[in-house]
Amino acid sequence: MTWTRKFVALLTCALILTLLGGGVAQGQAVRNPDTLVLVRFGDPESLDPAYAYDTASSEIFLWHVYETLIFFNGGSTGAFVPMLATEVPTVANGGISRDGKTYTFKLRQGVKFHDGTTMTAEDVKYSLLRFMFMDRDGGPSWILLAPILGVDVTRDDKGNLDQSLFARANQQIKTSGNTISITLKEPYAPFLSIMAQWSMVVNRRWAIAQGDWNGTAAGLRTLNNPAKPEDTKLFDKGNGTGPFRLVQWDRQNRQAILERFDGYWRAPAKLRRVIYRVVEDFGPRRLMLQQGDADIVSVNRVEQSQVEGLPGVRVVDDLPQLVVTGIYMNLKIDTTGGNPDVGSGRLDGNGVPPDFFADVNVRRGVAYAFDYATAIRDCNRGKAAVNKGPIPNGMFGYNPNQPWYTTDRARAEAAFREARGGQVWANGFKFTIAFNSGNTTRQCMAQVLKTNLEALNPKFKVDVRGVTWAQYLSLYRQSKLPMWIIGWAADYPDPDNFVTPFMHSTGTYAKAQGYSNPQVDKLIQDARNETDPAKRRAIYFQLMRIAYEDPITLYLQPTGFIVMRNWVRGWYNNPAFFGPYVYPMSKQ
Amino acid sequence: MGLFSTAARGVTANRARLLPWALALAALLVVALALPASRGRLVREPVAAAGFVLLALFVVGFWAVPSDFTRRMRKNPLSVVGFSIIVFFVAVAVLAPILAPPPPTSRNAYLIPQEGFGSDPRPPGPRHPFGTTEGQYDLYYGIVWGTRTAFRVSITVIAISVAVGLVLGGLAGYYGGRLDEVIMRLTDVFLAFPGLVLAVVVVAVLGRSLDNVMIAIAVVNWPTYARLLRGDILGIRSRDFVEAARALGASDVRIIFRHIIPNAIYPFLVFGSLDVGLIVITAAALSFLGLGAEVGYADWGMLINLSRNWILGAPGNPFAYWYVVVFPGAAIFLFVLGWNLLGDAFRDILDPRLRGAG
Amino acid sequence: MATYIGRRLILLPVVAFGVTLLIFALLQFLAPEMRAAAFITNPNQLNALPAIIEKYGLDQPVHVQYWNWLREVARGNMGWSQTARQPVTQAIRSFFPATLELTVYSFVPIMLIGVWLGTAAAVHRDRLIDHISRVFSISFRSLPSFVWGLLILMVGYGRLNWFPPGRLSLEADLFVRSGAFRPYTGLMTVDALLNGELWIWGDAVRHLMGPVLTLTIISIALLVRITRSSMLEVLRQDYVRTARAKGLAERVVINVHARKNALIPVITLSSLTFVGLLGGVVITETIFNFPGIGRWGAFAAQQLDIPGVTGFAMFVAALTVLGNLAADILYAYFDPRVRLQ
Repeated sequence: MTWTRKFVALLTCALILTLLGGGVAQGQAVRNPDTLVLVRFGDPESLDPAYAYDTASSEIFLWHVYETLIFFNGGSTGAFVPMLATEVPTVANGGISRDGKTYTFKLRQGVKFHDGTTMTAEDVKYSLLRFMFMDRDGGPSWILLAPILGVDVTRDDKGNLDQSLFARANQQIKTSGNTISITLKEPYAPFLSIMAQWSMVVNRRWAIAQGDWNGTAAGLRTLNNPAKPEDTKLFDKGNGTGPFRLVQWDRQNRQAILERFDGYWRAPAKLRRVIYRVVEDFGPRRLMLQQGDADIVSVNRVEQSQVEGLPGVRVVDDLPQLVVTGIYMNLKIDTTGGNPDVGSGRLDGNGVPPDFFADVNVRRGVAYAFDYATAIRDCNRGKAAVNKGPIPNGMFGYNPNQPWYTTDRARAEAAFREARGGQVWANGFKFTIAFNSGNTTRQCMAQVLKTNLEALNPKFKVDVRGVTWAQYLSLYRQSKLPMWIIGWAADYPDPDNFVTPFMHSTGTYAKAQGYSNPQVDKLIQDARNETDPAKRRAIYFQLMRIAYEDPITLYLQPTGFIVMRNWVRGWYNNPAFFGPYVYPMSKQ
Repeated sequence: MGLFSTAARGVTANRARLLPWALALAALLVVALALPASRGRLVREPVAAAGFVLLALFVVGFWAVPSDFTRRMRKNPLSVVGFSIIVFFVAVAVLAPILAPPPPTSRNAYLIPQEGFGSDPRPPGPRHPFGTTEGQYDLYYGIVWGTRTAFRVSITVIAISVAVGLVLGGLAGYYGGRLDEVIMRLTDVFLAFPGLVLAVVVVAVLGRSLDNVMIAIAVVNWPTYARLLRGDILGIRSRDFVEAARALGASDVRIIFRHIIPNAIYPFLVFGSLDVGLIVITAAALSFLGLGAEVGYADWGMLINLSRNWILGAPGNPFAYWYVVVFPGAAIFLFVLGWNLLGDAFRDILDPRLRGAG
Repeated sequence: MATYIGRRLILLPVVAFGVTLLIFALLQFLAPEMRAAAFITNPNQLNALPAIIEKYGLDQPVHVQYWNWLREVARGNMGWSQTARQPVTQAIRSFFPATLELTVYSFVPIMLIGVWLGTAAAVHRDRLIDHISRVFSISFRSLPSFVWGLLILMVGYGRLNWFPPGRLSLEADLFVRSGAFRPYTGLMTVDALLNGELWIWGDAVRHLMGPVLTLTIISIALLVRITRSSMLEVLRQDYVRTARAKGLAERVVINVHARKNALIPVITLSSLTFVGLLGGVVITETIFNFPGIGRWGAFAAQQLDIPGVTGFAMFVAALTVLGNLAADILYAYFDPRVRLQ
């Protein structure tokens, strides 16, 4: 059969071509030298600075499209430099009042918005009010509402907007010529950190021309709690003072395109264009990096070894992050309607009672049993550290000298023997550690802990269960999970943002754990209002001590890493950033 | 249906041909019992060993039966290959506790044992004949026990699909009229989805687990069966013996169960067996979308999904992690290939239009 | 014929309606918190769960939610797709052209190679070419499609840099967005030709290669099979024997007499293949990061983006019904026996 032979020949040819046809030169010449391409795995929620509350969104617009009054100094999260203000307010320079409640910012002159108009104090006031009163459910507005008005939401229980709040805010934020002053409800120590991240200035006149909030109390109805992200006019448009202007958010191709703004108040950026792309699958993302089609890509810890050693690629590791991962123990497990995660629901060796973790000995036993070294080495590639409490190591308020749990089988056994008068040790138990499916790091930590606990006593049984993110939320909210693992990333770099979710009785996690300690709640409030750093630090040390003596959560602090092409220059890290700060960057 | 009716007579007539097979099997057993290592395992797992012997006898018996069907099967080299592959996998499934004994502390044999938890896969070695995946799951163990999972998933899915298809297709075909119209529109609705998308929705709603994967694939599959059965029944309903039964005053239920289903079920089962490959592939696709069996459960789709980040290899060495792709990939490939080859042969044999054609 | 088509067209809304009913029925299984998951992107939002549930009415009974949704659809509003970050109608409009382009481009090689291999296998039944073609087509569908996709991506992009993921390269993409390029159809290759920009056309085709190759590999087996068996049947027919008996050259017999008739079921199958491709794009588009409707549909389903999934499903269901209708019409048109009735 001649054409059989032809067919075989064709196939052979194709095969040879495939194997021998060397790759097109993996160009060491810089690809697209004036364009930076960042490839990530999540879409931004919205490009409206008052709506977005996710890293993917902030990464794009924060300090690129919109700028803040003050900015972080280099890699520091506690030291600030002026940005749209001309100086950082202090008590010494009169920027902060003696009572610690009023902050005055002098604004930079002649700063231009992307449409060429000049920024005024009215723009700043409009932006702050807009941020506070957008207040969508699950949005970031509480970050300004809490210090200025002392509330977390602008609506009552029935969802009606409280108009008096707006009148108060209007009073407390005052403009006078080129200065803006903000009076807080009470002294609020983290306020400058908040201003460095959340005081993004939008162009008031432009926003009103787009049909956005007109700045009056009457207009709040349309601004407040928009039904869908698209309802805010700044959803996919932007006009700020930053070094880049937003050209387009192309949701079909899942990319946001920024272009250099030549009228920027400092020297124009070196890059002409910045493109944020979303590629969900790791395979194409890695190949894009390899081929130089992407300059910076997101990579999970698990996949790290796949990008290390790629020619022309640089991996910068051990970056401090403002992230704490916790293993949470639930003191009041909800078992109504049956709960598969607590087994029989009794301490009969095949389950745990709802208040199993209410006994501090059980929690201490877990803390001593956990093999931190293995978890860090195997689950985090060695790039994490035990954290002695909710405040991340390196942040103000962290006490590196306080004691903490280390892996100690004998103590773990002793603690479990003591728990519930010896019943735990005698009967054994069975419960589930949950993690959200797909998160291999959390799964791995759960498996390590399972192995450790089961090794103590053959009657100790632990299951590891992965649940989808949606189920996770549902179970978490109903306090149904006996033990689960999840992380927390800072809203703003201040210890208050860590002790509150982890320890306050209304905090995101502590509440789900059924933890309530009036003393802790009071200490957290005191620390928030304390402006003397030394006294404030002492309170946080006290909170850290409680976190040790009455452990409800085990903390790990993972470090981060970034993967980029060698030709990317000018990058530096600050743990408070949501992504690379592109303004000083270039390609060569 | 004549293909199967001759089966009964063959066993006695061809006892002589069974002899060499039986001898080979006996020799194998003797060897297995003689080796201390395997003897220990056989003694610990008598059920698996007995199951294996039964299986072997069944296969030999089936193959030796002289019917039109087996004759044609034997004549076709592809079907022989397909059949052998499937028999091999059944043997692996049955012998799983002997081939890969679960560790003594294990509470569930389907959870793959891990050695450490590190993220980079490790190549095959004496402790891990096929190497380990990311998270240090033993590939060999996962593949051996995954064989059971593959059969369980496909059999369960087919059983559910057949059951639902039988009831709905039977009602539609037998009673016809408005009921038929409603049921057929229902199948239209299910078939209007790309199967994978409907399965994704179902698993996403019910939660990620292997049970829900089976339910999801069955939800996607049943309409095909219902339509098939309906078509068959429409053909059989008017046949003489059904008319006769009806004339004798038999009830509907009796007619359906005594006359119609027995006559319609064979093509139905054949069709089901052809579906096995597709079911395993669909389950793997669900795993790819993060909706398959839980990580660590002995399931090929899960294993191959664990390999997806390593298919591209290490920088400078594209085949650095070949084993994480090749072993589970080969398991799925061979399993599905076996069923597809067999299915192809079945269709050729059963397709009356093609019989005797030259 | 016309009444037949009319009757089938009436079914279209019935099926589409059934599809939405099915999705909402599945929602019965979901706790309100789970339905809220699409709105939670960050653990810091967890405390707002009750408010979000309240706001979107997620704790209302499913039938109430369905009614509300239906009322909106009647007004032409299919809701907001949280995963596409845009309204559902707009999402369909922006994603579908890419998928259409992909399916059209995959369709051609699938049909050509499939028919060619199928005929060859039938003519040379039980010979080497028959076995080879069967083994190949069976092997192709014996590996999960994502394995094929990843392998093609690895070789075609990672090693050869021939067909990159995505739809356009950076330069082409920026050019297409500039004022110099007018989008007419949304099909990139067509628009490129209409604009007279050959390099854009080349770039778009380059990006189509990977997904097209993957789709071809996973879809070709069925076509080979059907062509083969239909050809085998025709070859036994009297008129073919007569043609042979007349002493016509074998090539003429096969190409003129046999193949033409063997193609009838293949034509029917072609529209079904088209529909089948719509399912195949789900995985392929995900791997090649191709901005089509399949990637969105799968993502929306995973994230439980309910308006997204429902809109996607309704749209695809409508396409499927139309595809099946086209198959029937084609069959009636080509097969004289059906036409006479």
